[in-house]
Amino acid sequence: MYTSRRQFLSRAGQGFGLVALSGLMQENLLAATKAKRIIYLFMHGGVSHVDTFDPKPALAKYNGQPLPGSFGEGLVTSRIDFRKARMLASPWNFTRSGQSGIEISDLYPHVQKHADKLAVIRSCHGDAFDHAPAINLRTSGNQFPGRPSLGAWATYGLGSENKNLPSFVVMSDGAMKSGAGAYGSGFLPAAYQGTAFRSGQNPVLHLASPAGITPEAQKETLSLIDRMNRRHFATREEDSTLEARISSYELAYRMQSEAPDAVDLTKESAAAKALYGIDEPMTDDFGRKCLLARRLVERGVRFVQLYQGTNLGDDWDDAHLDLLGSHNKMAKKSDQPIAGLLTDLASRGLLDSTLVVWSSEFGRTPLAEGKNGRDHHPYGFTMWMAGAGIAGGRVLGSTDEFGLRAVEQRKDVHDVHATLLRLLGMDHLKLTYRYQSRDMRLTDVHGENEFTSWLMNA
Amino acid sequence: MPAADLNGSAVALLSQKCQSCHGAQVQLSGLRLDTREAILHGGKQGPALTPGKPQDSLLFRVISGGEKVAMPPTGPLSPAEVTLLREWITAGAIWPTEAVGAKKWWSFEKVKPVKPPALADAWVRTPVDAFILQQLRAKGLSAAPEADRRTLIRRAMLDLHGLPPTSAEVAAFEKDPAPDAYEKLIDRLLASTRYGEKWGKNWLDLVRYGDTSGFEQDPYLLYAWRYRDYVIDSFNADKPYDRFVKEQLAGDEIYEEPAAQQGTGYYTVGPNRDMLFKVEDINRVETMTDFVDTTSSVFLGLTVGCARCHDHKYDPISQKDYFRLQAIFAPIVKSRVFLTYNLARQYDLQENTRQWKLYDLADEFQRMRAPYVKRLRAEKLAQLPKDIQVAFETEEEQRTPQQKAGFEMYAKKVAPRDDEVFALLSPDEKSMLDRVKTRLLSLYSNYAPGPFSPSVTDSGPLGPPVYMPGKESDEIPPGFLSALGGGDIPAPPPGSATTLRRKALAEWIASPDHPLTARVAVNRVWQAHFGRGLVATTSDFGARSTPPTHPELLEWLAGDFVAKGWSFKQLHRTLMLSSVYRQQTKPSPAALTKDPENQWLSHFTRRRLEAEEVRDAVLLSAGTLNPKMHGKPVVPALAAEELYGMSQPLGNAWVVTSDPTEHTRRSIYMISRRNFRMPLLEVFDRPEGVLSCARRESSTTPTQSLSLLNSDFTRNQALALAASSLRGDEAAISEAVFLSTLARRPDANELILAREFLTKQTQLLGSVEKAAAELARGLFNTNEFLYVD
Repeated sequence: MYTSRRQFLSRAGQGFGLVALSGLMQENLLAATKAKRIIYLFMHGGVSHVDTFDPKPALAKYNGQPLPGSFGEGLVTSRIDFRKARMLASPWNFTRSGQSGIEISDLYPHVQKHADKLAVIRSCHGDAFDHAPAINLRTSGNQFPGRPSLGAWATYGLGSENKNLPSFVVMSDGAMKSGAGAYGSGFLPAAYQGTAFRSGQNPVLHLASPAGITPEAQKETLSLIDRMNRRHFATREEDSTLEARISSYELAYRMQSEAPDAVDLTKESAAAKALYGIDEPMTDDFGRKCLLARRLVERGVRFVQLYQGTNLGDDWDDAHLDLLGSHNKMAKKSDQPIAGLLTDLASRGLLDSTLVVWSSEFGRTPLAEGKNGRDHHPYGFTMWMAGAGIAGGRVLGSTDEFGLRAVEQRKDVHDVHATLLRLLGMDHLKLTYRYQSRDMRLTDVHGENEFTSWLMNA
Repeated sequence: MPAADLNGSAVALLSQKCQSCHGAQVQLSGLRLDTREAILHGGKQGPALTPGKPQDSLLFRVISGGEKVAMPPTGPLSPAEVTLLREWITAGAIWPTEAVGAKKWWSFEKVKPVKPPALADAWVRTPVDAFILQQLRAKGLSAAPEADRRTLIRRAMLDLHGLPPTSAEVAAFEKDPAPDAYEKLIDRLLASTRYGEKWGKNWLDLVRYGDTSGFEQDPYLLYAWRYRDYVIDSFNADKPYDRFVKEQLAGDEIYEEPAAQQGTGYYTVGPNRDMLFKVEDINRVETMTDFVDTTSSVFLGLTVGCARCHDHKYDPISQKDYFRLQAIFAPIVKSRVFLTYNLARQYDLQENTRQWKLYDLADEFQRMRAPYVKRLRAEKLAQLPKDIQVAFETEEEQRTPQQKAGFEMYAKKVAPRDDEVFALLSPDEKSMLDRVKTRLLSLYSNYAPGPFSPSVTDSGPLGPPVYMPGKESDEIPPGFLSALGGGDIPAPPPGSATTLRRKALAEWIASPDHPLTARVAVNRVWQAHFGRGLVATTSDFGARSTPPTHPELLEWLAGDFVAKGWSFKQLHRTLMLSSVYRQQTKPSPAALTKDPENQWLSHFTRRRLEAEEVRDAVLLSAGTLNPKMHGKPVVPALAAEELYGMSQPLGNAWVVTSDPTEHTRRSIYMISRRNFRMPLLEVFDRPEGVLSCARRESSTTPTQSLSLLNSDFTRNQALALAASSLRGDEAAISEAVFLSTLARRPDANELILAREFLTKQTQLLGSVEKAAAELARGLFNTNEFLYVD
């Protein structure tokens, strides 16, 4: 196949994004959207909305009682019966925060200080109540695995700003309940797949030369490959894919030097590290991830997705049996790092063009599981966004008085995805890829309730 | 062009190029181009089309440069496409379905008998050549010269075996003086069992095969590999395709032989979440969708998925048709084939007895252990800080958060390990423990998968009722697609154990008269050999498909395929013995400008090795490839950093196969987990096994280069190759490594390059062996190794 160089570059996710190529910007669209990149903070395992960003005084009032009337009809989850289980008051106080007075629970004392930056969407809903399908749904718009993820679509549309680094980077601790498909490229070319960055010297898989191979020896071997390839290419110059592979080795070599530099936190000041809670036992891990995210977006990475709680046996999902312990622990681990990220991005002038998204795969039941637990709850839950010029300090939508169902301004995952693409300057109806003769979209045939103009206060 | 083709192609073009902005979803300028009425009605600018008059039609003017606005915005249509639309409008802009009825879409028509063009040209060896040459001449192109034998054997071996030739095989073929040396080569390759491993892989891609079922727990499909082996064996036996279809769709309803019933494993090797036992109705919807969508796209080349929610917008497939198909699969329940009846019964009996014995064995062990566990735990606890001891003594629900944290931190430390317990046992107890161990071992020493293969059957002679969503009063009877003339499927005769619906479906699809089955099958084989199908959308022959480049050739191939007994091996011969297949890859200057995608085949299209081929070729070169066939999936050892991302504890999810010689078997035998692909295969575009994959991507990424360059796998294989290449001086070593990797000697310049490289690397790394391994690692990464000319 004789792809042009331009095609190759855009396919390899390094060159011209499709936005530039095919005018995906809709004419009448908010010229105001400013997001050039996204940092997506994914709270893996399920954060309780009624204990964090969606206060429900009725739960305290009726603590220990079952739901009245038919409120529980039609809701199902794995472990509790909505008709019998009893309401559980939130053990945390909510504080009116910032000028705007948005209510945020005391699980997040640091994030509370950024209340005026947050646009809180309290009316998210979905229909998958197991982790893997719900994570797939949030990340790719489909409960089943195999579809391209949001990050893959975004980089497919935007292209890359730094050809020495991947455009879509993922950080987790490995044990994703959905598997790596949650950041896969599905039927899009593999170039758009999220690259997992690990902690340590070699963030990218196979980045380090093999054991015992010195840098000079590695360079010799690369030079041999290059010389053999150029001799081979000399009689096949019409084939740009061969040329692309020659460049891919140059790129791999540059990545070997640039990626370790990108993750080298020794270059950060003590103050910067303290801001993120690095070197503090509880916050060190997620703090490092957040600081890395900032270093990556500074270097032109388009989409950074951080998963908190992907250590086996250490995730938000411990709330099944222990709401108090799990949420105290997981919030403590991420509160200061998230706040530090917002502060740092703002002080560096990056927040104007960087969208920070916070979400989970679902919320948790307002009803108790056991004595001190909450089950999975996809029927109404909360996410928030900040940065990229959106108007913060506001709340969109609501759940009913018990926090069961999203009632006002209901937003499903497709509406959220349509909005995120729009904030990046892309029309979700036009960002398509032909697969099995269908023009596939991230939002499938949905996404009609996007809320970009609300976010931009336009 | 016949009217039906003209109308179909024009409407397909509108759908491909225009309807994303002017269609059902989006109507820029208020214009829709997805029905004839909508086009005639037009948008804000007025009517878009005047039938018979292209120059008066706004639609035509904007695509042909006659207006300030040029459409489509993504770039002009090709001259051929402009001509197509002009002719279509001139002929009256007839919409295919109104013009001739749904049944007149070309691929829904019976395969027409076609004679190859009579061309007097020495280049024409086979009928395939005549069809191709006719089009080449029409386009002003000429065929490329024949490739040399080295190129041909490499091409043929990778296409049929998925493995490159060894240097000895190349030399033997180059020296073979027989006039039919090439024909003999193809026959020899087709007769080898390596063939089934390569073509089995192609089929497994289509049927979204995997060894686990996906989702969070990603549990093993313990017997899926029996179906994998069945597929490999079917290809090796050259099982007629009609039979292969029938065995997979309804082997249980048609055939007595267990080997044939194994085909129904087809239904069981996809992703599913049955293991969760929670959300049965969602599972059921997803499973039914998978059966309908996968079966339609694999066997019929139709994408019916759209019709699940509404009538298909482009193809004449109604929502009702979709649920008629679904009703065929609705009675399915999972089952298993007893490959050998008596052994299977015996196996079940043994398993049953074993479980009974285990219950008591475990009781005995626990009783012996209990007092020591209690003692050890108390001793360990006594050494912990007082507050932790209190935390342990407090009831779980009464613990404060601090106590909880303390409890969690020490819970594991306090739990006695088996070795600590065993050290305390009395001599009597020790001999008792030994007896327990011996009994356990004897219960398990012969433990192995039973003689079963996964399969399906029906729940009974009456299927559960099927309704369209929202129309629960109207039961939908099972039946075939109306556009293909399908009627209802009758109820089974009295006494039938199953509904016989799948039997009816299988016999309908596998009929020699079915318009799609043979066309779709030959087109897939064509794609595998030539890089692109005659119909480029190999799993879609509907209205949105790419029109066939060589419609007559497709007809001829489909007819010939059926006439020769649906034999894939005959089909390979037909394609590979042609002059078209034997061309060089070098395009002429004319080809580069007139046909950059090489759809007219004026030369051979180079391809990159597929993921499995890359790995297998490295193993073959290193001399470590274990040729063993069949059996349980192999779990090779991977580096810790490669196992990142697993959703389950590694001790359960990546149980490395204990026999290391298994680790270097062919890639088709490596485990394919749905939640985790082996990184080297993943970066080279191995599909996830979730959706049917009709054509693999062939991407080029830096992570690919990093993996092939730096992985333990490459390095270890390079070292293995080096160890067997250390005879003689640097020239001899260079030659040996070149022969093993590229199956040729280095030329004079390369020899200089390689010797200098060895000298330099020996200095840097301290040994010739390490230097030779670097030479091998380098050559594994060259384009010559990774591409097929």
